Amino acid sequence: MKAAILTDTTKCIGCSECVLACKKVNHLKEDVPRRWDTDDGLSARNWTSVIGEPDNKFVRKQCRHCLEPACVSACPVGAMHKTELGPVIYDSSKCIGCRYCMMACPFGIPRYEWSTIVPYVRKCILCYETRLKHGQQPACTEACPTKATIFGDRDELLAEAQQRIRNNPGKYLNRVWGEHEVGGTSVLYISDMDLSFLAYGEHFGDKPLTQTTRVAMEAVPFTFLGVGMAMSGLYWIIHRRMKLQTEQASEDTEHQASPEE
Amino acid sequence: MERVARLKLVLWMFVGLAAAVATARFLFGLGATTHLSDGTPWGLWVGFDVMGGVALAAGGFVITATVYIFNLEKYHSIVRPAVLTAFLGYAAVVVGLLFDLGLPWHIWHMMIYWNPHSPLFEVGWCVMLYLTVLTLEFFPVPAEDFSALARVRRFLIKFRIPLVILGIALSTLHQSSLGSLFLIMPYRLFPLWYSPILPVLFFVSAVGLGLLMVIFESHFTAYLYRRKPETHLMTPLGVAARWVLILYVVLRFGDLTVRGQLHDLLGGQGQVKLFWVEMALMIVIPLILLFTPQFRDRTNWQWATAAIGVSGIVLNRIDVGGLADLSRGTRLYIPEWTEIVVSLGIVAAATLVFLVTIEHFRVWERRPADPNADPRKLPEFNKVGLTWLGTPVIAGRVKYSLAFVIAAGVGFLLLGNPRAASRGVEPTPVHRARGNVMYLKTGLVNDQKPTGTAVDGEEGVLYLDADLTGYGVTFYHQREVERNGGEKSCVLCHHMNMPRDRDSGCYECHRDMYLPTDAFRHDWHASPTGANLACVECHAPGYARTSEHVKPCMDCHKHLVPAGATIKIKTYMAPSYVDAMHELCIGCHAKVALKENKPEIARCVECHKGKLNYADAQNLLYRRRALAGRLVVLPPATPANHSEGK
Repeated sequence: MKAAILTDTTKCIGCSECVLACKKVNHLKEDVPRRWDTDDGLSARNWTSVIGEPDNKFVRKQCRHCLEPACVSACPVGAMHKTELGPVIYDSSKCIGCRYCMMACPFGIPRYEWSTIVPYVRKCILCYETRLKHGQQPACTEACPTKATIFGDRDELLAEAQQRIRNNPGKYLNRVWGEHEVGGTSVLYISDMDLSFLAYGEHFGDKPLTQTTRVAMEAVPFTFLGVGMAMSGLYWIIHRRMKLQTEQASEDTEHQASPEE
Repeated sequence: MERVARLKLVLWMFVGLAAAVATARFLFGLGATTHLSDGTPWGLWVGFDVMGGVALAAGGFVITATVYIFNLEKYHSIVRPAVLTAFLGYAAVVVGLLFDLGLPWHIWHMMIYWNPHSPLFEVGWCVMLYLTVLTLEFFPVPAEDFSALARVRRFLIKFRIPLVILGIALSTLHQSSLGSLFLIMPYRLFPLWYSPILPVLFFVSAVGLGLLMVIFESHFTAYLYRRKPETHLMTPLGVAARWVLILYVVLRFGDLTVRGQLHDLLGGQGQVKLFWVEMALMIVIPLILLFTPQFRDRTNWQWATAAIGVSGIVLNRIDVGGLADLSRGTRLYIPEWTEIVVSLGIVAAATLVFLVTIEHFRVWERRPADPNADPRKLPEFNKVGLTWLGTPVIAGRVKYSLAFVIAAGVGFLLLGNPRAASRGVEPTPVHRARGNVMYLKTGLVNDQKPTGTAVDGEEGVLYLDADLTGYGVTFYHQREVERNGGEKSCVLCHHMNMPRDRDSGCYECHRDMYLPTDAFRHDWHASPTGANLACVECHAPGYARTSEHVKPCMDCHKHLVPAGATIKIKTYMAPSYVDAMHELCIGCHAKVALKENKPEIARCVECHKGKLNYADAQNLLYRRRALAGRLVVLPPATPANHSEGK
């Protein structure tokens, strides 16, 4: 099973029960509006948030748990980890606090505890430790009163999403957000409005972001050896030439010197 | 040596300021001392200290390659300063990194936890290895002065060529990998900077920067120590830098053309302007100067060219590192003064080490003579303090210490306590409540009519939005009057009792609505001028001295809770006003809702009608956002009791 969440924004009433359930399960303290927060409601103490859009529409924002996560590939010490079950989890004991995961995430999900002197990265981990491991579903999907956000297997949810779109012509935009973007995500959305505002880019490609750095990283050993060998070769050639030149020069001087004597 | 002494004085001042900020950084954390945020997690410390520092150190590998690999012996005299600059540059990078990392004491995790997919992993290892190589490359210089180290020195010199080649290979990787870092964020970096060939661009510009930095450093130290400038030697370096810059500009604009981003160059965004400033400093001005012989061959112009080019390329690194970031948030990242001070302080410290090293070791053929060290010089007299400062050497030290201490003091004064202690809670800007008329039927807010008067058949309500966030609270004035007992109830709200005071808002008193209030003054209780209590008089001996193991306030303050009162004192932190107001209303509403089976009276919408309108939602039972752990479960709303509420 690949754990996944499907959020149907047409069913969301914006009650924020998911946010409260998340806070309770993860023992997150009350949120205080702070200088370094962005306007989407996510913060180190809010791992999910409900964004209000015009016309009484609401979108729940949370970590997308990408199938090929940029944060996992970016973390230099491997503190971010994609589990077999699906969630991307975080090991605070490894973290060095470089915040590269925050820069790498195309959805801008990971948040930082800026106010503390021992700060960690915070984001949704799909209740991996507390619930998912024990066969329970995440707190947010359980708390949703309208079943706007549901938990299940990714393939099944994908089929469900497509069926909902088919069965209700005109109700949804014909697209499942998270099916293909950046290689696919575990958190899927269907909606009657454009949800590209949830990410940095307007138009995400389907290629996983990890491929962008893979090219550069795979070139590293070859660059290292190539430059090393090129430099050694150059050194050898230039020095041999210099040596020959000096020998030649000394021979020449000997030749020139001898007749005069 | 006037110039050096004056420069050192300034440098010590920067180090002092940075020391003050460093204290705050490690006491209060990143949030209190930087303008970084969840929207822009990287800023000046990554862009300038780390990426700029590495780029500035590029002179080391460029010059060692020139001399040892390409065998251009005439540059031998500048190898040592170039390697020293590179070494100090990398050391500065490590120091800068310690400031920027959230958990700097975990920096060694790079060595034991590996993630070979991460460009930052490569960067980390390159810094470690290249710093080691640079140490080994430079070590023979100070070792000259100690006969005990002669064997080590001979051994290191034997391995010089392999070390140089290793250094070049590592630098190539490292300079380019700083560009690779940003490959993973194509949607985040502004398109004018993001490019799949970012690593190549970074490497090429680093070579150019290395050459320019060597020119700058040579002329700068020549000016400082009144040496003969090495103009003839620097001219070919400038020519080489010219070709590197041309290669760079071809690559960069070629890349823009191939990616079809040329139209971005005409945009009006701040980033486009930034791009042109960068291009002017990095390419246009240096190239014009380097292509004109009368500028290229003159000492002062060489110096200026190098300074402009260096600042341009460093600006490029800062842009990529944070300024050209497409932040999702509304706020733009502009470095906080503390960030700038730390960056300058690190550079100042590295420069000081550089100056001390060239004064004490044979970095140049001839060590610069320090006239202050001349034993025949007279002691210095301070006319202001009417004191003797001792020999010039001692007097110099006194002045530097004084500069450091005063600057650190100024730094602490500038830091100020409230900002650091506020932990990122911004003082809520409060304004007079705007009494706009809102027509509930249409849901429109009429900004043109400032005060609320009832319009035919429709109830006029006040739309209170004191912090101007756009999230307001609707206030039914007439309903409040009726509920509170007619005209006599005015004083319940309009209680400030000032002349002509008609509508004093919550904000008039509660200016810190979101801050928790400390109801208990601990310092006052402990201080000799206050209650003068010993710790054990409240905290039970043998337990941790926290609020958990403390005796209740009522043990001393017998009259704190009147007899028969139902209020319980649980914690010593009173909730914020916002929380307090919510609890006052919501608690009672929830109870009554349950008792009377009228779920709608407990809805958030009763008060908050600014942007969110819950009223139409069918399955809505009882929703409240502010307080966790007080959920009330109600029977599902039937159409009957739904209409009853209306």
